[in-house]
Amino acid sequence: MSRVEPGGWRLGADVGGTFTDLVLLSPDGRATTRKVLSTTANYADAILQGVRELLASAGIAAGEIAELIHGTTVATNAILERRGARTGLVTTEGFRDLLEIGRIRLSRLYDMDQQRPVPLVRRRWRFEVEERLDHKGNILRPLDPRSIDRVIDAMLAEDLESLAVCLVHAYANPVHERAVAAAVRARLPGLHLSLSSEVLPEIREFERTSTTVTNAYVMPVIGQYLSALETRLDSLGMTAPILIMQSNGGVMSARRARQRPVQIIESGPAAGVIAAAALARRVGAPNVISVDMGGTTAKASVIEDYEIKRSNEFEIGGPISQGSRLNKGGGYLLRTPAIDIAEVGAGGGSLVTVDDAGALHVGPQSAGAVPGPVCYDLGGAVATLTDANVALGYLAQDRLPSGLVLAAEKGRRAIEEQIARPLRLSIDEAAHGVYLVGCAGIARAVRAVTIERGRDPRDFTIIAFGGNGPLLAAEMARSLEIGSVLVPLAPGVFSALGLLEADVEHHLVRTFNRPLDRVADGDLARELAALANQARDLTLTEGHRQQLATTSAVDARYAGQSFELTVPVPDLDAGGLAAAIAEDFGREHERTYGHRAPGDPIQIVNLRVIARVPQGTGRQAIRPATEPTAGQAQRLAYFGARLGQLSTPVIGRFDLAKSARPGPLLIDEYDATTLVPPDCTARLDALGNIIIAVET
Amino acid sequence: MDAREVSDPILLELVKHALDAIVDEMAIALVRTAYSNNLKNSMDMSCALCDAEGRLIAQGMTLPLHLGSIPDAMRHVRRKFGDGVRPGDVFILNDPYEGGTHLPDFYILKPVYRAGMLAGWAATVGHQLDVGGMTPGGNGCDATEIFQEGLRIPPLRLYDRGRPVDAVFAFIERNVRVPRQVLGDVRAQLSACSAGEKALLHLIEKYGPERFAACLDALLDQAERLARNAIRAMPDGRYDFEDWIDDDGIDPGEIPIKVTITIAGDRLIADFTGSAPQVKGAINSPLPFTKSAVYACVRHLIGGNPPNNEGYFRPIEVIAAPGTIVNPVMPAAVAARGLTGFRAANAIFGALAKIAPDRVFACEMGGDTGISFGGYDAERRPFVFLEFLFGSWGGRPTRDGMDAASSSVVNFSNNPIEIVEAEYPLLIERYGYVPDSEGAGKFRGGSALVRQYRFLEAEGTLQVRADRQKHLPYGLRGGRSGTPSMNILNPGGATRQMPSKFRHSVRRDDVFRHALAGAGGWGNPFDRDPALVAFDVAEGKVSVERARRAYGVALDVATGEILTEDTNRLRQTARRVSRGQ
Repeated sequence: MSRVEPGGWRLGADVGGTFTDLVLLSPDGRATTRKVLSTTANYADAILQGVRELLASAGIAAGEIAELIHGTTVATNAILERRGARTGLVTTEGFRDLLEIGRIRLSRLYDMDQQRPVPLVRRRWRFEVEERLDHKGNILRPLDPRSIDRVIDAMLAEDLESLAVCLVHAYANPVHERAVAAAVRARLPGLHLSLSSEVLPEIREFERTSTTVTNAYVMPVIGQYLSALETRLDSLGMTAPILIMQSNGGVMSARRARQRPVQIIESGPAAGVIAAAALARRVGAPNVISVDMGGTTAKASVIEDYEIKRSNEFEIGGPISQGSRLNKGGGYLLRTPAIDIAEVGAGGGSLVTVDDAGALHVGPQSAGAVPGPVCYDLGGAVATLTDANVALGYLAQDRLPSGLVLAAEKGRRAIEEQIARPLRLSIDEAAHGVYLVGCAGIARAVRAVTIERGRDPRDFTIIAFGGNGPLLAAEMARSLEIGSVLVPLAPGVFSALGLLEADVEHHLVRTFNRPLDRVADGDLARELAALANQARDLTLTEGHRQQLATTSAVDARYAGQSFELTVPVPDLDAGGLAAAIAEDFGREHERTYGHRAPGDPIQIVNLRVIARVPQGTGRQAIRPATEPTAGQAQRLAYFGARLGQLSTPVIGRFDLAKSARPGPLLIDEYDATTLVPPDCTARLDALGNIIIAVET
Repeated sequence: MDAREVSDPILLELVKHALDAIVDEMAIALVRTAYSNNLKNSMDMSCALCDAEGRLIAQGMTLPLHLGSIPDAMRHVRRKFGDGVRPGDVFILNDPYEGGTHLPDFYILKPVYRAGMLAGWAATVGHQLDVGGMTPGGNGCDATEIFQEGLRIPPLRLYDRGRPVDAVFAFIERNVRVPRQVLGDVRAQLSACSAGEKALLHLIEKYGPERFAACLDALLDQAERLARNAIRAMPDGRYDFEDWIDDDGIDPGEIPIKVTITIAGDRLIADFTGSAPQVKGAINSPLPFTKSAVYACVRHLIGGNPPNNEGYFRPIEVIAAPGTIVNPVMPAAVAARGLTGFRAANAIFGALAKIAPDRVFACEMGGDTGISFGGYDAERRPFVFLEFLFGSWGGRPTRDGMDAASSSVVNFSNNPIEIVEAEYPLLIERYGYVPDSEGAGKFRGGSALVRQYRFLEAEGTLQVRADRQKHLPYGLRGGRSGTPSMNILNPGGATRQMPSKFRHSVRRDDVFRHALAGAGGWGNPFDRDPALVAFDVAEGKVSVERARRAYGVALDVATGEILTEDTNRLRQTARRVSRGQ
């Protein structure tokens, strides 16, 4: 497999639960987009259909596509819908229940009905072998081969498809896990295998086990899916390599994704952040918050100094919670690099309720696409955020530009009966309240990635996209005193564009666990270099021959702490490496937590290397084709008690000029409506982005 | 958004979210910078904000059993320092007889000033790894007076107008076994206070002090209103329940905890009359802790997501006579009062189950057990390992209790085994379920957990606080009790069954196994869906024999399939027998 030559046609396919978005990029940077309904029986069918349509409209042959970049929720859905493989788990004797026990924390307080996710491997399929290592990797008890045989005998009866092997302290020494794997391979050659010492060689047994088990659970599903996709694309005559978006925002070969599917779990949301980061570079905005609000959730992520922020663990499959970020255990824990995205249950379809103390809530439950908001008239009966937006006049009253017919009066009545009356407010006041609480929901996601990480949101620009982001972003920005909001071209398929912006990327981590003051500079540099070589080999086997950029970092903490901060190691060859790390760590600790502890010993816990095959430099900005502007019109829209209802111009994007025009304005487009509130101004930049200046 | 013109419910929702986010930020700062296991992994800590009058206006969603105690700590600091509080001050206390609940819990409180005026308080509670005294870990049961339990800190200034009070730091440093960890954790608490201070000031600035104060009043009222509505919906009457602690570790006798809950209109009174007099052993629960248990349990029956402030305490009254185990007086020892707090919660839930039988679970298992290993390594460096073990939830009116979950009146994590082994001279040899330990029921209780430790240093001290060897977690509505807890020294070798509470010298390669009790079941086990029983058997949580005996479900030993006729016969016989009685 070889990487695309500069100048070929490139295809991005972002498969979501409802829609499959496709973007075809011409060699000169023109993008054509398609939205087709996802085919949940086999997601590859929708891709095939969309690709056919795009090829026809562009008038090119499938063979001219040089590369397909793919974001997919197949792995996520396999977990959420519990359709993964029949998966077994081999553990050290005494620990078969680790996976199910987890960290025992409650995901919600005071809730007597709560449940935890059913473990991906049932207890019957969790097996113990006799062996034991200590934390340095020394063998305390040799692996008893008879215990492996007993385990394999038991597995034979269960018809398993996939197996995870997770032994205590295997991160420090993989020898026993490899021996188990060899024995299993000999007797059960068809079984998919995931070893914790390969998937996540990192200390903390539950986190490593949960991650490895998830990898095993989705591995056969991903394998089958990718095979089906390849078969269909072959039938079109398309021979281009398939690259898959990872949770960390990089892409990897389909072959690698088959081995490490746990790294593509957050494939979908990652692409939007990548797109925002690429746009940030293009417009010269180093500090950006991406705000992606669709029908069910709002997602926020920070880009700082043009860099995407990543976290090393997240949970999947828990109920979307508006509760504390500290209450974990609602989902499956994955310790794998992912773009740090905060998600709250607030989207256009979020249900609006008033509790018996008279407090107003938006979400986290959603009406989804079915039955949808009341104003869609598809059977929805509970008022939603979208109904409030229709009642306020923010959305068109008869039909959306995408063609969806609206029953505005029904939405308005739902707001009146369910919200305004119980709160003794006018319909306008009630709807506006719902709108503001919806804004507060996004603000909570934004806070989680800014204020709660020691960052002041006022230093950032918002990039707003998704079906509802452009409608709420400016008002939300005002609540956090953020002065500038950017709404990109084609905000509704913006995430699919992000697929075309991603680099090939591999994140490797290894536990080191030594005190900094007892590490020689040379040792540290050597270990990091070895990890970098491993990454280089990986990209070579994937067929990438371009220049590789590697960055090194260490996870460090004061000895005794349990949470690490990641500190970049810019130059392995420089002298005084340890001293530089100590200083950088102290500074980062002070920035994050307000103090440092000079003189306290520092522990280096993990070594990290990110290897990146950058996209060709000088690639042109992507320009989505845009529709003609809407005709000039006015809508009555309500903006709070002080301003009341205002006659608001409804315009198309390209009716805006480079000079700022005062709000209120409503900008209707095919896939989203942008609201420029009163006291704000909007203009168009040279790239066609709407720039809203927010009066704070 | 121009909040000045939004209607009140919206503004309140915004301020409420903002306050919740601030206490979360405080907790994250604390956990991330803490040194001791018990804070950083188990999260045995709480963060809160109070207004200028010391009212609790926001409480982190971490540890409900701490929540109700913060107003009492605030009250003592304000009473002692009154108008003498100045910008840059920070206060500390741990004395259970002046605002605290037991010595390991350090309360660190920072007044927040805006334009020279007191605007509120940032408060933290952190369970410190050690406070000196006779038992490493500060949690022993065998002290009989407070003076044996370690360093007592009355409300004192830790910082005086921005400058550390060296004398206080020096006293702490000199009186604990592991000063680096304890002072590191004090710094972590200070970090959290500073984070809270900064964010609170920003919030006040944003809405203006007058409007912010009005919001606080309204949020306190909102919580009170939700609580009163919930209580009013409960049937008036008196509901009592009695549970027991096996013993106090000194005297052999069982110890009753009795509570009578009276619902009168929109008021709820929890009266502990009938509970034991204070005991010699260190399990006496100071009044603020007892009150916290009441508040935490009652909150489970208040719907509607009330703001996390003290407003919902207002309609609740707690009666506990001085000199009893739920309101001890000097010089009672209190280090292990956690046990009594959990048992009080069990009793309160038992009474609440009579008020809301369709909602409340059977008895959970968790929190009773605290384990510490302490000593010195070959180079005479001290180590203290402390952890609390949690088991599972009781059966519920609609579903089984969760296997392996924190008690619902706290929210603890367990400790990563690999981290424990990397940091302490311990090997953890087993952590898993105990088959056939669940309280049988239509909806069964959670299975018990077992954890086994091997001690790797030459010598040291093992101290265990446990219970439920005699008085078991109760079932409800015909559900059965779970199995008893067990303390076993050197299983398989020179085995010794240990009492529920003990302190013991251990040597290299001594092994200690603790099995928690199983949680209680809900409803008649013979009404349990046979398919659920068969699944538990397939999973190895319940044996074929127990399925037959406890649930009246006959299974094919080889295939695990339900033998329907046998099952029907078993269950019909049981029904006839029970009717005959």
